[in-house]
Amino acid sequence: MPSRRAFLAGLVAATGTPRLSWADAGDPAYLAAARAPSGGHALFGLGAEGQDIFRIPLPDRGHAAAAHPTAPEAVAFARRPGRFALVIDCLVGREIRRLDAPEGRHFYGHGAFLAGGDILATSENEIETGAGMIGLWSRADGYARIGEYRSGGIGPHEIKALPGNVLAIANGGIRTHPDQGRDKLNLATMRPNLSYLSARGEMLEQVELPPELWRNSIRHLAVAPDGQVAFAMQWQGAPEDGVPLLGLHRRGAAPVLAEAGLAEQMAMQGYAGSIAFSAEGAQVGITSPRGGRLHVFDTQGQFLAVHHRADICGLAAGARGFLATDGLGGVLQGDAARLSPLTRADRAWDNHLVRIG
Amino acid sequence: MRHLLTAALCLLTLPATAGTRAVVQDHALPRVAGFAQAAQALDAAAAQDCRADTLRPAYQATFDAWMGLSHLGLGPLEEDGRALTIAFWPDSRGLVGRTVQRLRAEEDAAVDRPERFAEVSIAGRGLFALERLLYEPDNDGNGEYTCRLAQAIAGDLSRLAQEIETAWRTDFADQLLNAGAEGNSRFLTAREASQALYTALVTGLEFTADQRLGRPMGRFDAPRPQVAEARRSGRPLRNVILSLEALRDLALALADQPIPETEAAFATALQTARALDDPLLAGVADPSGRLRVEVLKNRIEETRAAAAREIGTALGVSVGFNATDGD
Repeated sequence: MPSRRAFLAGLVAATGTPRLSWADAGDPAYLAAARAPSGGHALFGLGAEGQDIFRIPLPDRGHAAAAHPTAPEAVAFARRPGRFALVIDCLVGREIRRLDAPEGRHFYGHGAFLAGGDILATSENEIETGAGMIGLWSRADGYARIGEYRSGGIGPHEIKALPGNVLAIANGGIRTHPDQGRDKLNLATMRPNLSYLSARGEMLEQVELPPELWRNSIRHLAVAPDGQVAFAMQWQGAPEDGVPLLGLHRRGAAPVLAEAGLAEQMAMQGYAGSIAFSAEGAQVGITSPRGGRLHVFDTQGQFLAVHHRADICGLAAGARGFLATDGLGGVLQGDAARLSPLTRADRAWDNHLVRIG
Repeated sequence: MRHLLTAALCLLTLPATAGTRAVVQDHALPRVAGFAQAAQALDAAAAQDCRADTLRPAYQATFDAWMGLSHLGLGPLEEDGRALTIAFWPDSRGLVGRTVQRLRAEEDAAVDRPERFAEVSIAGRGLFALERLLYEPDNDGNGEYTCRLAQAIAGDLSRLAQEIETAWRTDFADQLLNAGAEGNSRFLTAREASQALYTALVTGLEFTADQRLGRPMGRFDAPRPQVAEARRSGRPLRNVILSLEALRDLALALADQPIPETEAAFATALQTARALDDPLLAGVADPSGRLRVEVLKNRIEETRAAAAREIGTALGVSVGFNATDGD
């Protein structure tokens, strides 16, 4: 006979517990994965001021998480090329589902909820062909796989839900094969894009870079309150080439590429790790852990400021401005005018800081 | 209870490690001061006589002094693009040559006003732009402008070196030594300061191995001796040796305990470098010469590994969690 606890857990999973909200899990504002000094990994819920709300152990190094818009449920993705993702009940602090990538697929590390949280979309690789895929999972059916469609490019990485169940997809353009780890197999021919797909997988719009920037992998996305999409890039040429790493896009318009002065641009090492709009939507930031920098721009693409912080990477909209995390355990708050520490702990925050709601 | 409270307060105000203090006082401050002096002497020499052959000794001395601190890529060197402005290398797009050529062709009047010259592209300033003027003399009858350009670059270098010296002495040293103090958003704990200096050590070793040696080595079937650092001024191997000497000094200062393995690795790497007897690293063009450079590169990589084992482990630090992974 199943224990009461197991019975309840099963019930929770089966019904999706619509009545529970993030407030029941202590009202975290953010999710972030971290490595502890002991080497163990965990997913943290953080409050608006960066304080710990909950800590849930993870079996391995995490990459990013997708937060359900209303229910206290997170999907934690392993570093690519991960074969599974964990659905975590943030109320009881444990895994309630394990999503296995279908045969011949692996996850790329990001996901997004659609349809008010009923459907989870995941970025995936069709290993044999290298085609980028979007996998769809039904939460109400215990996260059963319910469909998939092509992402519109190779190597889809971050995906974001836009109003109207449109998905914005950063097709990074880099083909990988899990047998070769993270080796990049097509640098000479890569051609990244930003794609907008309907919930049925119809291509609504696709944005490409000029040919001299085809080695600039479009990997991470942020969406402003007014629908402007910002994309962060990772240059596959020499780190000192100083190419733009931030793009801004509005549907139907040409993308605007934004850069700082030459020295600052080169100091980013051709690498933007995370991207976010500020809380007010008037500024957009990109981080470079390799350059130890946060660059802040306005939404027209004008460079505003640089802030220095070693190994800074995670970035999200703050209560005001931005909230950022780093590999030294710091949580910082800032905007173009300043960057100041809020909290620190003995742990290394991983690549991404995910805002809830 | 009182013990607990004391312990908690100690954590908050934990002073800088002996190693961090030693790096600041015995390594960084003397070196930034030395560079400022050398650059000032270069500026004075250029003002007096800007001919290439008379300026070369002061140029070489300034470059030597720069090699003593170029690895300190944190704080004043990384702000306002100073390190890149002083030493624009590697220059995979050939910007230095093009910018210097443009300045000369247009006889850009920015050279006559320091505040305007400070706005010129960083590729047209610093040691590598000046190298073109001193070691690749033009024959286009444009000597008078070249002289003003050399003076402008020397003055700009001296200004940057002074800024670095002032920033270290009056501000950044305190930040490193007073981690966690009110208003110090750079270093929240003493360990962060240690980690920043340790990262400079590891990054410096990697830069010398991967860039100073790796760039001219190129691929086995396509060596590129022509891209060696400061080839025109005859400094490729000298820069490797000076950087290793500076990094050894940093390692010895930073470590709070004996580091016999790291010291031995530095000694072997330096011995290998000095025995190369190939100032331009031109040997990379043939298989046996390339092999000797590759051996040196391996020695430097072994030095990095030894430093990680002895210094990184003891300080409880490693290089960036995100910086070294990424996705």
